[in-house]
Amino acid sequence: MEFSELIRTGRAQAELLRGPGAPPLRGTLCVTGHHLLLSPGPQATSDLWLLLLRSVDSIEKRVAGDSGTITLRCKDLRVLQLDIEGVEATLDIARSIEALSSLESVITSFPFFYRPKGLRLGDAWHFHPPEHYYKRVARETNAWRLSEVNEDFSVCPSYPRAVIVPRAVDDDALARSARFRQGGRFPVLSYHHAPSGTVLLRSSQPLTGPQKRRCAEDEELLRAVLAGARPGARGFIVDTRSAQAAKQARMTGGGTEAKAAYPGWKRLHRPMERGRPLQESFVRLVEACGDLEQSMDRWLSRLEGCRWLAHVKEALSTACLAAQGMEREGACILVHGAEGTDSTLLVTSLAQLILDPLSRTMTGFQELVEREWIQAGHPFQLRCAHSAFSHARPKHEAPTFLLFLDCVWQLGRQFPLSLEFGEGLLLALFEHAYASPFGTFLCNSEKERCLCEVRTRTHSLWSGLNQPKEQRKLRNPLYVLNPLAIWPSVEPQSLRLWQGLFLRWTRPPEPSEAAWEKVWQIVTDKEKTEGSQPTVSASEPQP
Amino acid sequence: MMIISLQSYRSYKTSRDGVNWDLSEAVPRLPGETHVADKEVIYICPFNGPIKGRVYITNYRLYLRSLETDSALILDVPLGVISRIEKMGGATSRGENSYGLDITCKDMRNLRFALKQEGHSRRDMFEILTRHAFPLAHSLPIFAFLNEEKFNVDGWMVYNPVEEYRRQGLPNHHWRITFINKCYELCDTYPSLLVVPYRASDEDLRRVATFRSRNRIPVLSWIHPENKTVIVRCSQPLVGMSGKRNKDDEKYLDVIRETNRQISKLTIYDARPNVNAVANKATGGGYESDDAYHNAELFFLDIHNIHVMRESLKKVKDIVYPNVEESHWLSSLESTHWLEHIKLVLTGAIQVADKVSSGKSSVLVHCSDGWDRTAQLTSLAMLMLDSFYRSIEGFEILVQKEWISFGHKFASRIGHGDKNHADADRSPIFLQFIDCVWQMSKQFPTAFEFNEQFLITILDHLYSCRFGTFLYNCESARERQKVTERTVSLWSLINSNKDRFKNPFYTKEINRVLYPVASMRHLELWVNYYIRWNPRIKQQQPNPVEQRYLELLALRDEYIKRLEELQLANSAKLSDPSTSPSSPSQMMPHVQTHF
Repeated sequence: MEFSELIRTGRAQAELLRGPGAPPLRGTLCVTGHHLLLSPGPQATSDLWLLLLRSVDSIEKRVAGDSGTITLRCKDLRVLQLDIEGVEATLDIARSIEALSSLESVITSFPFFYRPKGLRLGDAWHFHPPEHYYKRVARETNAWRLSEVNEDFSVCPSYPRAVIVPRAVDDDALARSARFRQGGRFPVLSYHHAPSGTVLLRSSQPLTGPQKRRCAEDEELLRAVLAGARPGARGFIVDTRSAQAAKQARMTGGGTEAKAAYPGWKRLHRPMERGRPLQESFVRLVEACGDLEQSMDRWLSRLEGCRWLAHVKEALSTACLAAQGMEREGACILVHGAEGTDSTLLVTSLAQLILDPLSRTMTGFQELVEREWIQAGHPFQLRCAHSAFSHARPKHEAPTFLLFLDCVWQLGRQFPLSLEFGEGLLLALFEHAYASPFGTFLCNSEKERCLCEVRTRTHSLWSGLNQPKEQRKLRNPLYVLNPLAIWPSVEPQSLRLWQGLFLRWTRPPEPSEAAWEKVWQIVTDKEKTEGSQPTVSASEPQP
Repeated sequence: MMIISLQSYRSYKTSRDGVNWDLSEAVPRLPGETHVADKEVIYICPFNGPIKGRVYITNYRLYLRSLETDSALILDVPLGVISRIEKMGGATSRGENSYGLDITCKDMRNLRFALKQEGHSRRDMFEILTRHAFPLAHSLPIFAFLNEEKFNVDGWMVYNPVEEYRRQGLPNHHWRITFINKCYELCDTYPSLLVVPYRASDEDLRRVATFRSRNRIPVLSWIHPENKTVIVRCSQPLVGMSGKRNKDDEKYLDVIRETNRQISKLTIYDARPNVNAVANKATGGGYESDDAYHNAELFFLDIHNIHVMRESLKKVKDIVYPNVEESHWLSSLESTHWLEHIKLVLTGAIQVADKVSSGKSSVLVHCSDGWDRTAQLTSLAMLMLDSFYRSIEGFEILVQKEWISFGHKFASRIGHGDKNHADADRSPIFLQFIDCVWQMSKQFPTAFEFNEQFLITILDHLYSCRFGTFLYNCESARERQKVTERTVSLWSLINSNKDRFKNPFYTKEINRVLYPVASMRHLELWVNYYIRWNPRIKQQQPNPVEQRYLELLALRDEYIKRLEELQLANSAKLSDPSTSPSSPSQMMPHVQTHF
């Protein structure tokens, strides 16, 4: 494909305003297939400024006299202003950006062209396959096996090739259970909690429909789960819809597990907002945060009116419920809503963070995101097509993944020592989920990623992030391994607006960055001290 | 006194029935603290339900220990925090635990104790508590005068006004130190030592005093080390309805203005809302008018008075104790206006600091009497401008100077030992100041030597009456009562164990001005203070951060020490390994974080 057809003008003189704290940049503006470039004149000291066009969420142009202004609202919530010389040039550049930033084709997107120094293609793609997690489960219990029933993605198009299932259930039964679940998402293992011997499962809703259909294999599967845990084990089905909504879903072919059909399992409804209302909440919040003119007397009620923190609370408390079910009640938990690709993943991934110390490490968390979001089939391409600024009518957009990151941030704030990664990693994941030079968040499922050959033709974000030079930004210097579950307080007083994300571009970053740097200094000083210890103490008798 | 000892003897005896225990072990006691009574009660814990316990009352505290094996609850409440004691229920009230005492505290909580209905069982507890919580009404001394604690540092030595002014570079060509108020004759609520313009004679000062509310004349609080602009504080001018003028006052402000030649105007910040300043004329007060003070610019800072602040905090308590308003938390919080008041105070202080630092103009700050809002504004502005005040001792000096010596009426605002809980003079002005400091420390995590615990400790002892620091309304009263001789200073406690109050991330910076963001978006409720009694807000792990901070502090000190030692060793060119410093693991056992 020729990007040049979409590029209307090569270059123009422009000045870029980047908001408070950053000085304006002057130079030659230039549109390429994937980027907007501003190269400062030869006398300037600053480097080339580069913006991935994919990260532009909305564009607004204004012309007056013989110059124009383009306002770019980016998916990472940044607002940039370009003052451009020449009316024609302004309009042409605006049109080029508009066309190039909304290209839908995956294989012409930038990750397929991005070849950074120091990274080799294909390096990190086999970093976190489901097999890897299975090895850990297999060390803890033998009640589960790795099934390749979905080898060619025909049983469930949104699942990865391999999934972890009860050993007692064969592939045929799985295939039949899949036919009884929306999108073929039959119950699979999400997390094995070794201390209690219980498991966390996820699926989509059963297709009971108005006739209250049943499926023997599906029932068998859940029975095998309880049997595999321990004799007499109980199970809870956490349905992320209200009882009413779940009932209504029967009219369109969905529904819930009937009590009689699944002995030992009890259903709990924890309604969580998803889809459009969630996206609207996000849009309202970003609007409120960016509204600097508004009289601030009403800020708190406006913040409340956005309902974002209420969603954070819902997500965290449902995750707590699931985690408590396992740790305190010794019960197995199955989580699903309707499709099982949004709020379901939010709950299962948060529950693991609460319970599993390994998932709170740098690698463990990356594995969790890879396993519970990317490979589990959260449709990133649909959900993150636009961020909070787009004027286009939202279709499938929803900030479910951002809500997850926010909840993780809240956990990190309440347990400042228990997460090995810091806010920097969460901010990076947010940015890359919406627009990235890496292939990790491309497509909606493993199947699509396979078709597009994402794994062989793009670089993985994980190899990008795990380069040594990135570590200081991403890691939490205060981290110490905490082997316990971390139960967050979900009272509204304990939850905060994530300023580092939502007010990132409107506040001076200096104090918090200086603080971060200071903490690093102290901690690395400490390591130096410890590092020099053996040489000093070597000659000394041990006490 | 005789009656009390009889009383305590009696209760002591009754306490012995059935329970075998050793009083000296059961209750922590300060030197000088004496046991008065104890009794079996039911503590009605708003979070965990009724808990059977034994309450011990001393002349300093109320201490409750749970008698239930599965609950390790302990309450340790200095009697000074009690603002009100009420009887709840009557001898014939029905319902479980309906008869007893309800105690309102000054630190955002209430305590309820249920007692047996038979035989007026609550009567002596009520009387004893009332007597010791409100000693002033019973001609008893406040506990600070009985406290015999000894510390290895003397907190009373922390603040020496001459030294502090010398640190600021005073006296200089334009400013002199005057002892005109040595015997508090010029102004009985001011300190004895004042800094005034060199060109104003003592006679001028006396004449100015007649035109300022309660004789609180404009005096220097702080001088900028480079541009020599100053922050001057005072009370309102006595303009009155008729719009009186006073040539001496006008001339005096002009003299102040002329000490700084960079700007032709003096900036006056009146902390009050415009309308209140106008309304004050009716009671003889007012503000500096344009026609009388040609060379001054006046701005109102819209900060409300002590009554508004008291009601606002009351509303905060309503939504956080005992139960936290959950369903509309943020809008309930907004309706208390507490954060809005914080915002206005901070915004005012930022304006003062900015005017002095960037605007290069001297600033005069006042409100009505110049001991509430004025103290908030000058001290916060000084905290923003002068990094010295961000150290532990610097902050103590700041409080000692701008609040204690300049006559913030701690006794009236807090009501130490006074039973009149509804006194309109009470107001959380100092708490509000500490809250502002906390907001700043949140925004600048490396700028302050002290941590949150330091601020909370100050607030706890603002009420406790264990120390003399916050007693009485002004320096002259403190001197009459010989407070520094007869009581212990809070700074003795803090400075003898500074590590507990240190921020491990503190980076000392000279001459950096801090401008906090005073937007509602960046202010938050100080949950760790206002909602600290609610266990649901707390994390279930015991202060892991604090523990880790202590570790880091120790490690940092260790590192610095080691570095110095290594440098020393290097310079001495010692080659003998036996003289090299011992390893850190030996000097300090490696601290493990336990969860």
